Amino acid sequence: MNAIEIVNLSKNFGKIGALNRMSLDVPEGTIYGLVGPNGSGKTTLIKALVGSLRPNSGFAKVLGLDPLKDKWELRKQIGYMPQSPALYDDLSARDNILFFGKEQNVPDLHQKTDEILSFAELTNRADDAVRTFSGGMKKRVSLCCALVHNPKIIFLDEPTAALDPYLKMLFWILFRKLAQSGVTIFVSTHQMDEAMLCDKVTILRNGEILAVDTPRNILHRGKTKLKIFDNHEEKTAVIDSTSENLADELKKFGLEKNISSVELQPDTIEDIILSIIRKKEKEEKS
Amino acid sequence: MRHTFIIGRRVLAQLKGDTRFLVLSVIAPLIIIYFLKLLFDTFPPLVEVKSFTIPISAFIVHFLSFILCAILLVQERTRGTLERMMISGFSKTAIIGGYTLGYFGLATVQAITVLAESIWLFNLNYDTKTVVLLFMVIWLLAIVSVMLGIFISTFAKHEAQVFPFIPLIILPSVFLTGLVISPDGLPVWAQIIGKCLPLHYAVNIIHEIIKPEYKLTDTLVDFGILTGYIFGLLVLASLSLRETE
Repeated sequence: MNAIEIVNLSKNFGKIGALNRMSLDVPEGTIYGLVGPNGSGKTTLIKALVGSLRPNSGFAKVLGLDPLKDKWELRKQIGYMPQSPALYDDLSARDNILFFGKEQNVPDLHQKTDEILSFAELTNRADDAVRTFSGGMKKRVSLCCALVHNPKIIFLDEPTAALDPYLKMLFWILFRKLAQSGVTIFVSTHQMDEAMLCDKVTILRNGEILAVDTPRNILHRGKTKLKIFDNHEEKTAVIDSTSENLADELKKFGLEKNISSVELQPDTIEDIILSIIRKKEKEEKS
Repeated sequence: MRHTFIIGRRVLAQLKGDTRFLVLSVIAPLIIIYFLKLLFDTFPPLVEVKSFTIPISAFIVHFLSFILCAILLVQERTRGTLERMMISGFSKTAIIGGYTLGYFGLATVQAITVLAESIWLFNLNYDTKTVVLLFMVIWLLAIVSVMLGIFISTFAKHEAQVFPFIPLIILPSVFLTGLVISPDGLPVWAQIIGKCLPLHYAVNIIHEIIKPEYKLTDTLVDFGILTGYIFGLLVLASLSLRETE
């Protein structure tokens, strides 16, 4: 079953089209990534799905509910972590979480808050004002606020931007755990490498979908540069990034004694996504 | 209603946590009233300054409550907490109600301290009934100012956009409401503008209260209008606060 269904969704800000007839299906319990450069429409799409933005045309259903007409029912079931921490700096981490949790009538809210603070490794600073926190700690508190009421879907708008690699890894481990427990994660990022951590990825540019696929299939769209050093002579070939192609290419050279080394330079997912975006740019220019 | 109390409690906790803001919003009016005393002391003895003291004190509370509340709510918008509250399920009525509830406490403290300082500094000999009524007027005006701040904040996308509303709303209050001069000598259109501003009714009530022959019935209409501003602005703020872009 799909957790999110989007059909021909469009949103304009004046003459600027932020979303252009976008259609998507997001299966339940998956980590669904929105990848694209700044201004590609990631935040606009998330805001339309959480009911904070009214689309000009098309429709979206989240858990079978209309984000605007059924907002009160829907808001009990979704978690939202905006790009900025969106916290009360003068309140403690605990009070911020309790405030957003109280609205949702969470049973055993105080216990749940303690658990989530412990998970986010914030127990020692739970009662300190958020204004004394680093950017990474604020992000963790913000994530706790989005999770405290056990939502069925979590919308995360660039949750790992400006985080250090260790914290980023912790966030993604948590996202995977949540997805394994059946929670749908709808996450936007402009860090292309994070696409590999999603179950499915949509690549966006200027409010348009350029590709929807699994990270593995996206990797297959790339090329691998093959360098073979035969008696110190460098031979280069560019092949598709699949193991079958690699084997064929190697067979052409044979396994001769004078082949001293073989070097593979596969495209990274970042290279591939950027090449998809550049290809679209070139098409538009021509 | 439960949500209104949750937000009200949060606003109070936030104010408690922001000592600088809290001290400034209580201390600043007191300092300004002291400056007023210094100014009035330079006037010739024939000038009757006592009738201006309480209205000007009320104006200071009006101005500060309006500007501080408007800026704090705009900050909610720029920091994303307003949007987050709405997405978390708080209704706009609960948000406005909660803010008003949270500021009730601050408005009460401001009204008490400003009135107490004015009476002490200017050596005003009012009986208890007069002091209580003066407190009620300043307190009501402070609540109106909070509501006005909430309403105006819906038109500002960032803090700086609040400031153009000062010459639009606050300065006309100084000149057209009878705070400095009687509005009777003003052109009719200016008198009409003055009557649209809540300070006009607060100043009217204060001028009546400090008269020795004052009767409560003389000011019931003005009290009613001042209270009506609270509900009118509450409705306007609810209509103008947008949940969706």
